Amino acid sequence: MTEREPADGPTASTLGRLRPSSSRPGSLLAVLAGIAFWGWLLTRWVTDWVLARAGLGPGAGENYLSPEPFEALAETFEETVAAIGPVRLPMNWLATLFDGVALAIDIAPILADGAWHTVVLTVVSILLGLVIAVPLAVLRVYGGPLRWLALAYTELIRGTPLLAQLFVLYYGLPLAVWLNDIDAVGRGFVPEYAFLIAILGFTINGSAYQAEYIRGALESVDEGQLTAARAIGMTRLEGIRYVVLPQTLRYGIPAWTNEFVYLIKYSSLAGFITVPELYYRASRVASSTFEYTPIFTLLALVYLGLVLTATNAMGRLERRVAIPGLGQAGGRQQGTSAGVNTEGETALAPEAVEGGSGSGSRSKSESETDTETDTRTK
Amino acid sequence: MSERNPADDTATGGRIERERTTGDAVGTTDAETPLLRVEDLWKSYGDEEVLRGVSLEVDRGDVEVLVGPSGSGKSTLLRCLNRLTEVDSGHIYLGETEVTGPDTDPNAVRQQIGMVFQDINLFAHLTARQNITLGLRKVRGQSKTEARRRADSELDRVGLLEQADSYPAQLSGGQKQRVGIARALAMDPEVMLFDEPTSALDPELSNEVLEVMGQLVAEGMTMVVVTHEMRFARGGATGITFLDEGKVIERGPPDRIFDDPERERTARFFQSIRHE
Repeated sequence: MTEREPADGPTASTLGRLRPSSSRPGSLLAVLAGIAFWGWLLTRWVTDWVLARAGLGPGAGENYLSPEPFEALAETFEETVAAIGPVRLPMNWLATLFDGVALAIDIAPILADGAWHTVVLTVVSILLGLVIAVPLAVLRVYGGPLRWLALAYTELIRGTPLLAQLFVLYYGLPLAVWLNDIDAVGRGFVPEYAFLIAILGFTINGSAYQAEYIRGALESVDEGQLTAARAIGMTRLEGIRYVVLPQTLRYGIPAWTNEFVYLIKYSSLAGFITVPELYYRASRVASSTFEYTPIFTLLALVYLGLVLTATNAMGRLERRVAIPGLGQAGGRQQGTSAGVNTEGETALAPEAVEGGSGSGSRSKSESETDTETDTRTK
Repeated sequence: MSERNPADDTATGGRIERERTTGDAVGTTDAETPLLRVEDLWKSYGDEEVLRGVSLEVDRGDVEVLVGPSGSGKSTLLRCLNRLTEVDSGHIYLGETEVTGPDTDPNAVRQQIGMVFQDINLFAHLTARQNITLGLRKVRGQSKTEARRRADSELDRVGLLEQADSYPAQLSGGQKQRVGIARALAMDPEVMLFDEPTSALDPELSNEVLEVMGQLVAEGMTMVVVTHEMRFARGGATGITFLDEGKVIERGPPDRIFDDPERERTARFFQSIRHE
């Protein structure tokens, strides 16, 4: 660290700007881990799909490092027993470690490829799901008779297993045939039909859950907000669009993050309809090598990296769009400087100053408050 | 935008003064027909009858204060005036337009009737300025610069131009309510409705709101005000309407209603609030 400090100067300040609210050493470590994780994933994707086509780099799916030296190291430690005086320590745990490193190098390209599918599947599905969920939630709350339609959709989707929904879409409906007839499917950047069906399934499923989260947030917005919007001549829909929803979506971020994190992990069900996502790829390798424990440990680390990235990004978004003066830490500070607390003081101070001396005249209590505040500032 | 700005009406201040001194019933002014006319309004929620045949007339430039015990239907009446609440029967006219008419677009009517709420209801996610520009832009279709200029002039009018970029949670209750008034004024309303505008505020914060309201009275704005602030009712009102149990019990100029009410019920009410 110390020798790299000068070179890292600008990076460090960039990191500082990225995480303004925390200066704990743990968070720096987390940021470094994040950079390593995403650096690996991104370079892997670029290597496999851009550089490999141009004949550059190690080629698609090829390792950056050779696992052989680690395998050799593992073999060396297999038989070694360290003798410190009379105590004899078996060193084969080092062998396990180096074996793991070698395995990690071996399957890293496969995990990166699977992670790509998982990331695209999750991000596209959750965003499309959100597009459906918002009107669905609005219908639930403001829809009048149409609310039953939204309720029926939500309960049907939430009431049946996701896997069953995917199977119906994949095997039950002739979607695969239709999609296969489209020339573009599976060519260039357009994914295979199984992948498209998975996106459809997760979009529908996620929309029902997201609609419930958004409904909760929608109901937490004070109804006076919509009344005030209508009082200046907005239609109900305009009031919802410009006044209620902007607040709803802000309040809904924590719950929505929950759904996002779930989806990252239950996107693994796409493997059942042959989508080569993260879990599917890893489990295939595991069942052919029987190295279940190390492979699933590595798999868990990749999922953990994705989930922590998601929660971190959403937390950052939440802080960024927080309404100044409400809730969030940053906002609370601003609120203090802009008079919320000052008002609190003016309201409380007269009682504190006057105590039992009865109610003084308004002007008196005000001037006393002023001096009180002044002394405090000094 | 405003075809008839009440502030431009000539001799409005004088007219208010004259009405007060003559002590005549409201409606004897130069205007041919009252600006706001309410005829036999009925409204019930379930079994509970909130309004039972309320009639009211408010002339241009008048300040009508509605008083009465809680549950007497004051707030409901106010919300019926701009159709935030639909009436069961009866008619409301604003000038020539029947507000309660089946073909009347309530959104168009609401632009002409500004409303200020007890719980203020500033749009929580918008700055003071944006609270005002939103309606101008989305309802009036004004350009960004046009709306901004108007918002700033309204904020200046209520003395809050410096807080234009503050969010509601950063403002005091009194400041919020003044923004609420500015927001309503920006739509160039013919009438302003105030639904207990100071009830949610500490006494010292009420004063700044009452000052702004007094300023509007001086400018000749037509206002219907539900309030418990008897100082405002005495000093600013051209007429007081006393409601109880969904009916107008008594109506007249403030001095007479306060000091010499005809009905025993009215007298009892003012007695009880004086004892507070």
